[in-house]
Amino acid sequence: MVAAPVDQVRTLYRTLLLYAAISLLILTAGLVEFVYFEPPGHHTGIKATIVGVYQYDPDKNAVTGPDSSTFPRTAVFAAQVDWSSLPSDVVVDARWYDSFGNIVGGVGPATPPELADRTIIPVRVPPGFRHILPGHYLFVVERYEGGVPVEVIGRRLVQVER
Amino acid sequence: MATLVDTRSARPRPRRQARYTIAIVITVTLILALVASSILNYIYLEPVAGRTSLYGLLAIGLIALLTFVGVRALYRDPAERRRHLIRAFVLLGLAALAWLLLIDVFVFTGSAGPNVAVVSALACLPTTAFGLFVLRYLDRNETEPWRLVLLAAAWGAVVATSLVIWAESLWQTIAIRTLVPGPGLEVSNAFSAGILEELAKGSAVVLLFLVMRNEFDDVVDGIVYGAAIGIGFNFMESVSYMTNLYAIFAPEGVGPYAAGFQWYARQVLGLFFGHATYTAFVGAGLGIARQLPDVRRKLIAIASGFIVAIAAHFAWDAWLTLFPIEKTAIGILEIHLRTLVMTGPFTAGVLALLLLGLHIESQALADQFRKEAATASGAITPDEVPILMNPWQRFRQRVRAFQRGGLRAYFLVSRLQTAQVDLAFERWHRERQELDTPPEVEEEMRRRVVALRRQLPA
Repeated sequence: MVAAPVDQVRTLYRTLLLYAAISLLILTAGLVEFVYFEPPGHHTGIKATIVGVYQYDPDKNAVTGPDSSTFPRTAVFAAQVDWSSLPSDVVVDARWYDSFGNIVGGVGPATPPELADRTIIPVRVPPGFRHILPGHYLFVVERYEGGVPVEVIGRRLVQVER
Repeated sequence: MATLVDTRSARPRPRRQARYTIAIVITVTLILALVASSILNYIYLEPVAGRTSLYGLLAIGLIALLTFVGVRALYRDPAERRRHLIRAFVLLGLAALAWLLLIDVFVFTGSAGPNVAVVSALACLPTTAFGLFVLRYLDRNETEPWRLVLLAAAWGAVVATSLVIWAESLWQTIAIRTLVPGPGLEVSNAFSAGILEELAKGSAVVLLFLVMRNEFDDVVDGIVYGAAIGIGFNFMESVSYMTNLYAIFAPEGVGPYAAGFQWYARQVLGLFFGHATYTAFVGAGLGIARQLPDVRRKLIAIASGFIVAIAAHFAWDAWLTLFPIEKTAIGILEIHLRTLVMTGPFTAGVLALLLLGLHIESQALADQFRKEAATASGAITPDEVPILMNPWQRFRQRVRAFQRGGLRAYFLVSRLQTAQVDLAFERWHRERQELDTPPEVEEEMRRRVVALRRQLPA
């Protein structure tokens, strides 16, 4: 009895199935990572009060002018947070992110009473640069649990013009 | 493989009509997705994005028209085909220009200026062309026609980028307003890029698979078309990143370095290791599905191709930050190693499929050449079999023809060889029961080979 020749296309098919199985593991790992950093059921309803985003005077460590969502790239700006609006037993931080996802300023993590004297959170000019880079800037106040930020309780988007 | 005759009147072909119907459904779905995405962006996003949507639709409309005219052109008589092709290329030029104008004027050149965009595009053209040449060269048994390879690259550059710029903007706008910044947001954005970009690019491979079945033989063709679409996408993405980063860093005096780094990372390091690899997997899935006997396995193969492409793309975007690059000389080495470690395994995987596909194809063609020679039909003689089996021998035969009879003889032999290879592919597919064309096509192809042989000088 002569065995039928093996169809090599089936070898291709099985190889692809093996790749797909590995790929599903990769995608599952991605989902697990997402759930770890975005755990469901962690929304407390707490809201941080972001008073506004203003031009910043680094010499006086003070904000000036009106609340704004747009700044020229030559300006330095800072967010002002009212920490007293939060329960005193939560751990929070505040961070600025640039459009590349880099952290370019922030305070915490700490409890609101510990941050009481740090209500102004400026954006830092990147080392070696004269001005901040243009693009979207995201300011967030985050609540921590188990050493990881699990919930955004305040958020502002700012555009820095080119 | 080109079907050399129009056999539409030979007999009805219901399966062929079915796949055309699927192709129309996909096309309509894509257009609806574009329109819906455009309207949502116009309502919810910034004005620039709104205008981008409107002008993008114009570009997509032109490309859709081009595709329609182009496909029609392939099934008409030579005179009419030429007219349609001219029309198609004019429209392609207009669509490409419209899109370039779109991204340059409304997205980037407001700051970087059109000169930077033009320089960036010119810098990316030679590397993109090199990539497409290499792809065609890899398909050594039967190189795909330039018109389809370029059409695939144009889809990747123009249509796929248009589809994703809107969809990804929406996804990221929602994500940035709802998620915690950091790894979670990065993973979300990576899912967005992996899923949306691979679906946008992959839809072109699916359409080629459905509409151009005669030029879509197996896994090798699928990989070539998929990678061509990826290279086209990579071209437009490179231009976008180069102009954008130039505009961001130019005031600090490092704009050209930022653009130059993007060019190197995307057009040299990432030419084959990025989008080309990802979308090649979609093509591989479709190419394998082309040769599977039952619908269930076909669907699994197609889905598998998409899953691998999405996972490969996702892995790069999500875990790029796991390999930080130092701002020292050693950083240059790290950039290369990062690409090799993160995308290298996927590129090796697609190369393995390509090599196995080429091996299967070569064996099948050799078998069919021998069988055809044995029929003594005159289409393939026993002496020609070893020549046809070897691309290098085929090239040498063409060179010998050129030495004897000049350029005309070279092209005549080239056409004869192509027709003989096409006949062998037709026989292979018929033997495997993978064809929806009538048997008369094979006989017509045989007659065509004999007719071409008669035109050769003695």
